[in-house]
Amino acid sequence: MKNNIFVALACGVLAIDGAKGAEPAASPAAPSPAATAADVEALRQQVQSLTELVQTLQKQVKEQQTANEKNNSNPPALPQSSEQETAAAPSTSPPAASAPSLFPTTDNAVVAAAPPVNANGTLFPTTDASVTATAATVSSTDTSSSLTQPISLTGGGNKNYMNISFDGMFALAASSERHLDRLEVGDHDPQQRGFNGRNAEIALDGAVDPYFEGFANIVLKLDNGNATQIELEEAFLQTTDLPYGLQIKAGQFFEAFGRINPTHPHTWEFADSPLVNGRLLGPDGMRGLGAQISWTVPVPWYSQVIFAVQNGRGGTAYSFRNPGDNGVFYGRMTFDREASALRDLVFVPRVENSFNLSDTQTVLVGASGAFGSNDTGPNAHTQIYGADLLYKWKSPRAEGGFPFVKWQTEAMYRRFEAGQGLADSFPVAETFHDWGIYSQVLWGFKKGWVAGIRGDYLHMEPSLFTDDDMRQTRSRVSVNLTWYPTEFSKLRLQYNHDFLEENAFLASRDVDSIFFQFEFILGAHGAHKF
Amino acid sequence: MKKILLILSVICASAVAAQAKLNVVATLADFGSIAKEIGGDKVDVTVMAKPTEDPHFVDARPSFVVQLRTADVLIDGGAELEIGWLPPLLQNARNPKIEVGKPGRVQASQGIRLMNVPANVTRAAGDVHALGNPHFMVDPIIAKTVAQHIAQSYSAIDAANAASYDANYKKFEATINAKLQEWGAALLPFKGQNVVAYHDSWPYFAHRFGVNIDIFLEPKPGIPPSPSHLVEVIAQMKAKNVKVIIVEPYHDRKIAEKAASATGAKVIDFSQFPGGIPGTESYVKLIDALVSRLTAAMK
Repeated sequence: MKNNIFVALACGVLAIDGAKGAEPAASPAAPSPAATAADVEALRQQVQSLTELVQTLQKQVKEQQTANEKNNSNPPALPQSSEQETAAAPSTSPPAASAPSLFPTTDNAVVAAAPPVNANGTLFPTTDASVTATAATVSSTDTSSSLTQPISLTGGGNKNYMNISFDGMFALAASSERHLDRLEVGDHDPQQRGFNGRNAEIALDGAVDPYFEGFANIVLKLDNGNATQIELEEAFLQTTDLPYGLQIKAGQFFEAFGRINPTHPHTWEFADSPLVNGRLLGPDGMRGLGAQISWTVPVPWYSQVIFAVQNGRGGTAYSFRNPGDNGVFYGRMTFDREASALRDLVFVPRVENSFNLSDTQTVLVGASGAFGSNDTGPNAHTQIYGADLLYKWKSPRAEGGFPFVKWQTEAMYRRFEAGQGLADSFPVAETFHDWGIYSQVLWGFKKGWVAGIRGDYLHMEPSLFTDDDMRQTRSRVSVNLTWYPTEFSKLRLQYNHDFLEENAFLASRDVDSIFFQFEFILGAHGAHKF
Repeated sequence: MKKILLILSVICASAVAAQAKLNVVATLADFGSIAKEIGGDKVDVTVMAKPTEDPHFVDARPSFVVQLRTADVLIDGGAELEIGWLPPLLQNARNPKIEVGKPGRVQASQGIRLMNVPANVTRAAGDVHALGNPHFMVDPIIAKTVAQHIAQSYSAIDAANAASYDANYKKFEATINAKLQEWGAALLPFKGQNVVAYHDSWPYFAHRFGVNIDIFLEPKPGIPPSPSHLVEVIAQMKAKNVKVIIVEPYHDRKIAEKAASATGAKVIDFSQFPGGIPGTESYVKLIDALVSRLTAAMK
């Protein structure tokens, strides 16, 4: 097509040149009666305007060619190599400075035809540029937020129906305490001196169909004997198309209790979990099989109500129907019973609200509860209550999300009815009132750099007749410095000082530990929630 | 309880009253500016990201969920620029009106041939966008196409005002066509000259106006400038007689100034977004400012 234009152009130029050549020959001759002065003048003007048009077109063509040469993206639909034309164009007509140079206002190299909009009720479209356009155009319309289209797995031309990623997190630990596994309360925390590989995670997610999204997190964990343990940490489907701001999820998932419990270690700001999380919600976090409904409340601020029901059975329902290690929990032989009524399930309500204090400051406050039965008695119950607060400031000129200041606090209280255990294995029934709190401040002071400080306190009501290292009152101070070379890698140095009320299970009541954590992510990197 | 019901009914009533105007949410200020031009007084436009912050890393503030929940139209780039923060917001907003494929969703990159689509993707090359460079709005010809998409979307949802949207689009198109003559003429004397940028966000601007913006202070996209890379950049700047370094509001100006003082170049504040630099509340004013700042610095 472009070549045709050039042919036409060249013909035009030749014709004009011909006319120019003929003109002086005609003027000295006597004017023929047929050609009046007016006719000649009209012709002259026509020729002049044609010359100008040709010069303009030539200029445009040249500009486009130089622009295209500079554009290394090789966009489709550009003119083929046109050295011949560029060589020919200047020779036929010298560039005239007087010609008005029109700046091009369209450019087919960068925009394709506008795709039709799905206007219901109008004429059915008979053409569809969005599907007939070149591959490059179509690929630019897909994003991973699309619900019905393939999700790009690695980007570019490669497409897949899900995002896949692998996250490897490791820690080198040094501590004044020989038994780090008795000191650290979380299952993904460093558990021994030397190297630890407590969390290597395969994450999959994507749109199932127009109605559901699916998520799965499979965790591979190296224990202190370097044997691989596997956990189906999460696997659930979630609705995308319910009305009235409702959403349902079902499967195996983390309970929406507080801020840290529903998240994966990759997003944690410290190398280990807070004491209160590990001791009240459990070393693996509170998660299990169940279903959850949530509702974004139609008020002018952000408000969400969440309600979940789970089986609440096993080690990942630590304070509930948890048979404990070797069938013993808090010194009692446990029942390990089947659910006999609805009250044996765990019910987890949560409310969260968020407000913007200013353009740069956001606050999120939440309250959570978890209610169910436990395995220390035939009729023993557990209630946990939690409150959480998040404050974040971020610079209006943030680069890569820095600088920022983030303050996060969670407090929990647990009422635990401890029965006498199976066959009255424990002399008395007790009710424990346990509580704890942590508070942490993170300061992202420079792109990629975060400094953090955290204080932890856990109060466990003393139990009669037994010393249980799971029931020690204790506290901790942690400071750390994290460097994120990019959002796909992380290096973190952390110092912990632990104070223990008694040293029945440890060498000393004061413990110093240093962790060096390193992490990498391959593949898709899920966007971070607030 | 009665009080709560009363409050709820007031909120519902105000929501109905607000229905008169289309509720438009734009992820970034460039889309927002054009959304206002096309919508005029028939739409309310909310912009999520601040024009001065890094559009790659915006906090997914919960208040954005509230905006998206009630949106009739969402305009996003569609080229993975907002991939780090938009998906969880959409998941939480649960608004079927703005799903991809619905008339209420405008993905600006539709119909745009993105530049610099990498043949192979590897993160060893830094923060490379697999779909191509997403900073396309600073090409006014592309902005016209995006404006047309927005007008089509508005008309499909609000047919009663279709004529007004179409007229606004025609006006915008005519303005851009006229302005292109002005901008093109102003930059014509600097055709082929080299300009250094902090980040590779200007290939579309360079392509349109014929300046070369191929040298960057970042060694790779998203990787902070290193001293050894700066030495290289300074040498290149001297060799190519570069007079200008452009930085965006969220970039570290000190690094640019260091390179400038070593070479005698000028640092000028540029922005991709209306409002990112003073006096640029509309798209046309932004390009006006970019062109006048660049020509002044290159003289």
